[in-house]
Amino acid sequence: MSALDDLRLGARFAVNGGREGWIRTILTAIGVGCGVALLLVTSAIPNALAARDQRDNARGEFVGEQSLDKPGRDTLLIGTVWSDYHDLSVRGRVLRPEGPGAPVPPGLSVLPKPGELAVSPALKELLDSPEGDLLKKRLNGPVTAVIGDQGLAGPNELAYYQGSDTLVRDEASRINRFQGFPQEGLDPILMLLVLVAFVVLLIPVAVLIAAAVRFGGERRDRRLAALRLVGADGRMTRWVAAGEALVGALFGLVVGAGLFFAARSMAGLITLERISVFPSDLAPAPALVVLVCLAVPAAAVLVTLLAMRGVVVEPLGVVRTAKPVRRRVWWRVLLPVAGLALLLPQIRRGDGGGHFDQNFVVLGTAMLLIGVTVLLPWVVEAVVTRLGKGPVSFQLAVRRLQLSSGTAARAANGIAVAVAGAIALQMLLSGTGEHYTRDNGASESEMQVAVHAASPAAPGADQLRKDLAAITGVEKTFAYARTGLGDSPSGGEHYADVTVADCTALRELVELTSCKDGDVFLAAGKDLKGFTPGHAYFLDPAMPGEPESRLSWTLPAGAPTVPLKPAVGRYPVNGVFATPSAMPAAVKPSYDHRFTLKLDLGVPNVVEHVRNTAYAADPMVQAMGMTDGQTDHRYVQIRRGVLAGAACVLLLIGASLLISQLEQLRERRKLLAALVAFGTKRSTLGWSVLWQTALPVGLGLLLAVAIGYGLGAVLLLMTGFRVGVDWRAIASMSGLGAGVVLLVSLLSMPALWRLMRPDGLRTE
Amino acid sequence: MTSAAPAGSLLTATGLHKAYGSTPALDGASFSIHPGEVVAVMGPSGSGKSTLLHCLAGIVTPDSGLITYDNRNLSAMADRERSALRRSDFGFVFQFGQLVPELTCVENVALPLRLNGAKRKDAERTALSWLERLEVDTVAAQRPGEVSGGQGQRVAVARALAPNPRVIFADEPTGALDSLNGERVMELLTDAARSTNAAVVLVTHEARVAAYSDREVVVRDGKSRDLTLEFTG
Repeated sequence: MSALDDLRLGARFAVNGGREGWIRTILTAIGVGCGVALLLVTSAIPNALAARDQRDNARGEFVGEQSLDKPGRDTLLIGTVWSDYHDLSVRGRVLRPEGPGAPVPPGLSVLPKPGELAVSPALKELLDSPEGDLLKKRLNGPVTAVIGDQGLAGPNELAYYQGSDTLVRDEASRINRFQGFPQEGLDPILMLLVLVAFVVLLIPVAVLIAAAVRFGGERRDRRLAALRLVGADGRMTRWVAAGEALVGALFGLVVGAGLFFAARSMAGLITLERISVFPSDLAPAPALVVLVCLAVPAAAVLVTLLAMRGVVVEPLGVVRTAKPVRRRVWWRVLLPVAGLALLLPQIRRGDGGGHFDQNFVVLGTAMLLIGVTVLLPWVVEAVVTRLGKGPVSFQLAVRRLQLSSGTAARAANGIAVAVAGAIALQMLLSGTGEHYTRDNGASESEMQVAVHAASPAAPGADQLRKDLAAITGVEKTFAYARTGLGDSPSGGEHYADVTVADCTALRELVELTSCKDGDVFLAAGKDLKGFTPGHAYFLDPAMPGEPESRLSWTLPAGAPTVPLKPAVGRYPVNGVFATPSAMPAAVKPSYDHRFTLKLDLGVPNVVEHVRNTAYAADPMVQAMGMTDGQTDHRYVQIRRGVLAGAACVLLLIGASLLISQLEQLRERRKLLAALVAFGTKRSTLGWSVLWQTALPVGLGLLLAVAIGYGLGAVLLLMTGFRVGVDWRAIASMSGLGAGVVLLVSLLSMPALWRLMRPDGLRTE
Repeated sequence: MTSAAPAGSLLTATGLHKAYGSTPALDGASFSIHPGEVVAVMGPSGSGKSTLLHCLAGIVTPDSGLITYDNRNLSAMADRERSALRRSDFGFVFQFGQLVPELTCVENVALPLRLNGAKRKDAERTALSWLERLEVDTVAAQRPGEVSGGQGQRVAVARALAPNPRVIFADEPTGALDSLNGERVMELLTDAARSTNAAVVLVTHEARVAAYSDREVVVRDGKSRDLTLEFTG
């Protein structure tokens, strides 16, 4: 018989093997299916995000190189509205056509008339629900249109367009077509994060698939023994086993495709970290699908052939596992060492905007992580051979591990790889986090309301301040006006901010020993480079295309230099701080007004009331929490995505661990019943099961911490950041891994109790 | 003890009924055994003899009927009490030995002693002496997978005898052995039991094995008949 015939025979066993055969095939199919679904979803994510970006770009208001100084038949004024609602992000745009040919945004057929709203389906749903009551007070115009899919980044996006006849050029952009900003490439550190995240998430999936094709192995070995009895040789039995696994893997592909399509159909219902995708966007690249379809069955055959090398199948229905060959460590160390060798030349390449060699990063990270899976069986074996003493439950577990640590190590491999990867990623995330996070010292209870006073449509700043102060829950308001100072009427080479406020408000920003109306202060630091006290400069210098400033102002010669308060970053200022009387009256119309509010967050919805009051004054008035924008948006997305992915992978691995645990218990049900027959306490067997899982997983976690820390340190060195031990990351990830094991053990207890029932002896 | 129980009996059962779903396994079976006595329970496959053994050992609770052991009502005991009784007073030999594959033979024999609270070294010392007595001390350090079927079954007998039980339950103890090995196992089991005054409930369908017993009880369709009593009475 050829190997192909043997494979075919194995395939027939898988489907004609009666109940047992089907159980094994189904278990394998479920395990492989989960892995395949995860692979397909992961491979579809880049396409989904690209489709989102493309739609988002197509509705952008980027002016680009067009010079649209004057209104035309085809121009449109578009203003961006800063409009969040609770923790939901709402994309708002105010539109004012300047001619009959003004462009219409994607997803709409006509522009909304003044006051009218065109909203996304998700926003319409929110506005129609009681949860949207406060937002409805803000967006109180009639909804006359619903934005179509092509005008939305995702199905659950909250977005609206509002027509206006008061929007002015100063607070808007003038465009004659919708187009996005030119796409920026990902910076090298974020690219590194994405690459490592993919490797870290996909390797446990590969481990899961490899484990799944070995489900039910012991029962299969007994079936193979029967084949040996009728004359099959060792090679034939290996190929027959591979045939069984192949069928399981093929069914797994079908299950995986089914799960993928189910997940895809539900994709529109899920919003993860403010991102939702249309089901049609979740389409993996055809080449990747073909790769998955070929690689998974091939891996099933390969894994089985390799696994069968260690099993001696003898006739007479006896599978005698040969005295385990002592595992050698030398070749197991080669893999992580080679991985490290690939990564080391990348050190400091991410420093200063450099670029990593992506292939080296992916390959090196993968080799280090796969190194966990090849090292762990050796570590488990090396440790358990030295154990033995202890209570009966411990002895039972240790002896079982000594006899066959491979199965246990394989089960722990998935957890160990996932934890090692997650630790490395967490280290990278927290190490590089400071690069993407600005700690501006602001707290949740602080808000800033910005009014652009240059616009004739802008509300009276004083009135708005009164309205804001009247809101229940607003404890304090500080008013600031801001303009600029340039060394020439048209801007010139140097520019500094000028912040005008009374002494009380200024003391919030800078350290003042004395202050009275008419005083001017200079902020310590390099922002005033190019300005000399006693010299004349120009207030409100012109921006390109604007008329030149005629407001000459002398920077007072005796103006003291004062230090900025640590929390001054919350208010983006530098340069000059002046009290109102120090400024010429003529500059007042150029002021941008800002109010900093201190809120009592114990008052329900106080933030929304502030936003509503600001919006009612003018949609273009910005009202935002001071903590908004502290962290780079893409960094946050990647970090949250990675953590969510790691949790999903760990849960999936937990499920696979549970299946393998239950399978092993089922295999031993007669023995368990016999042990109970002669009086073994259930708790003894329960503890034994826990030890049996906890020992390899504990060792796996130790190895994972070592390799994860090593990988994290190398990755941080690559980016040029300081390497520190992130104990919180290590503890949280190891704890998560240990938690999964505990959960699996707890979930397998009911089955253990059931299998320990004396009924198990009935077939004796 | 009930009035129906023969005087001096250690373990008795009267009017046992047990059904698995709608299938009756025992239908009014009765049984008794004295200390040091070997009683063979015979019958065709599916007759209920293993169920009778499991009921007598407190592994399975009968639907109705009374089982008393040493003047104690076994049926009324909680699972925990019955488990404790099985650890201290009962020993078991199964058809396929059911040795724990990952423990060595000496550890297998020591297991019930350790479950009873004995220290590891003491338990293994006692276990080794039983292995010597059953002529399998040479395989003490080997695992069950590395010894022959006959040796494995002798190890199982040693495990049953090691805690000095008062009753040994043997369910087809020679079913998986050739006749020569089977006879040797039976000789060793019955000799050892008699020397310690342990009673042996021996479930078998082989007359050759039953010949080692002092008395035979036949179970058919869930009902029992004591052949010895019939012939002598």
